[in-house]
Amino acid sequence: MSGRGAVALAGGAAALAAAPWVLSDFLLSLTLSCLMYAALAVSWALFSGATHYLSLATAAFFGLGAYVTAWGVAVLPWPVVVIGGGVVASAFAALVGGAVLHLRGAYFAVLTFGLGELVRHAITYFEKSMFRTVGRVLTVTPTTTTVYLTVLALAVAAVATAIVVRRNRFGLALAGIGADEERAQTLGVATRAVKVGGFALSAFFAGAMGAAVTVRWTYIDPPAVFNPFIGFQTVLIAMTGGASTLVGPLASAVVFSLLTEFLRLRFPYAYLLLLGVLLIALVLYLPRGIASLFDRPARATTPETPVRG
Amino acid sequence: MGLWLDLAVAGLITGGMYALVAIGLNLQYGLMRVMNIAHGEFLMVGAYLAWWAHTTTRLNPLLALPLVFVVLFVVGLVVHRLCFRRVAREAPSVEVLEARSLLVGFGLMFLIQNAAFLAWGADLRGYEYLAQPVEIAGARFGANRVLVFGVAVAVSLALLGVLRVTLLGKAVRAMMQSPTGAQLVGIDEKVLHPVVFSAGLALAGVAGALLSMIYEISPSMGEPYTVTALIVITLGGLGSAAGSLVAGLLLGLVETFGTHVSNPSLKPLLSYGVFVAVLVLRPRGLFAR
Repeated sequence: MSGRGAVALAGGAAALAAAPWVLSDFLLSLTLSCLMYAALAVSWALFSGATHYLSLATAAFFGLGAYVTAWGVAVLPWPVVVIGGGVVASAFAALVGGAVLHLRGAYFAVLTFGLGELVRHAITYFEKSMFRTVGRVLTVTPTTTTVYLTVLALAVAAVATAIVVRRNRFGLALAGIGADEERAQTLGVATRAVKVGGFALSAFFAGAMGAAVTVRWTYIDPPAVFNPFIGFQTVLIAMTGGASTLVGPLASAVVFSLLTEFLRLRFPYAYLLLLGVLLIALVLYLPRGIASLFDRPARATTPETPVRG
Repeated sequence: MGLWLDLAVAGLITGGMYALVAIGLNLQYGLMRVMNIAHGEFLMVGAYLAWWAHTTTRLNPLLALPLVFVVLFVVGLVVHRLCFRRVAREAPSVEVLEARSLLVGFGLMFLIQNAAFLAWGADLRGYEYLAQPVEIAGARFGANRVLVFGVAVAVSLALLGVLRVTLLGKAVRAMMQSPTGAQLVGIDEKVLHPVVFSAGLALAGVAGALLSMIYEISPSMGEPYTVTALIVITLGGLGSAAGSLVAGLLLGLVETFGTHVSNPSLKPLLSYGVFVAVLVLRPRGLFAR
């Protein structure tokens, strides 16, 4: 199974790598947006889908990565900036994860959301008092092709990581925590270390993605890069696709990115309104897609989740 | 001395508002584990209702309060019927219920906020009501602010009274303590859940109508109040209405004094800092034993 997944992934990556020389600028940016949400949703599902800890911190990780770019892109080599963004987000996740991962349910969700806002306000304040600025214009940026290939590499790395994690002990421990945390602990899983590790791993991709993507925006300020919308959209994509599956979030990322691209700019309010209705309808009337997230492992082994079987 | 008194009164005025916003949300969460993240949006709707009633019919904003209460109560019944009843029925466990109702809440937030943008546009709206100052202990405050504080605290206390004395209030408290036990002695969940959910929305609406008397309103005004309400109920303890009242006033004071001794742009940092600190150190609230 892993072999087939790896072949499919390698084939897809090779095809997508040719995009900058084949596609028009518009289509390229569309593909980039799909890849970004694919990586965010897959890495979110890697932790939250398996453990059922509903994290709303994606925007915080993304924004931290973006600010690594804002501060470093002019002086550091590009790969260092991107990986640095991931590492900073990861370190932050490990730090707060150690403190808050004993909370469950709405508490955890609300707290992770609050953390995002806390970081946003902290950076706003820091920038204001240290540099007397509210936003930054990025003057030195890599070419569009470099950015695209970086995003592609990150998306591929996220999917590959998800494939590997699902099959090894670490991934099984995460799924065990999701199924019954106390039982997992009794059976000898170091639940705390596994949770913090999973949270930090998932944060790495969100942070690196933030670092890689935001150079395209040229102007960076906290409300834009810590936009809670990024986090919501990620959760929405992963959950509608089925957060315990791998293909679900990928497919759903493409659909939602296209929707966003075509509707959001033309009808911003109507689009978000529609998104709200869609979210409610999905939770109420399509519990299957979401239900797989909460099912016990025995029932999660449906044809949609072949990797676990 | 005069300055500190000044700050204390200003803090209490802000805090009274926070308390009123938080109590409704806290009742909903305490009774049915529905964390309605769209709470602030219903506050915004209440504010627009009061503004609309005042600007079109010259209705006294104080008289608009009961109107807003009734309208949002009905809205609450409809929202509960359409969304949360189904979520509660289908969810296999409390954890799933919490996660799903949170997502439904986010959906409602997108829906209502953007509907308001479409209906009223992004401009700030407002009206003048009782803007002349009054003097309290040597300091001057807008009469409308004092009035808003009075109404907010009165409504909160009235609610506490209802919870403590009436049969309905006792049923609500019983169901919070033990849902199964309450059902066994004949308290009907099918009646209590919609009523409490709608009462929560109605209180948010009243809070919004009060806010429209002192601040300008906009479709995005609700979100900060949702966050504040979350902070307050975390401080005061989930499910405890009295805790919310005290914590609301406390947060108002902390913010006012904190921004005074540091600087105004630290205000959001301060409230989130309090929030995160409490959740990490005392996740059951300040007053939990």
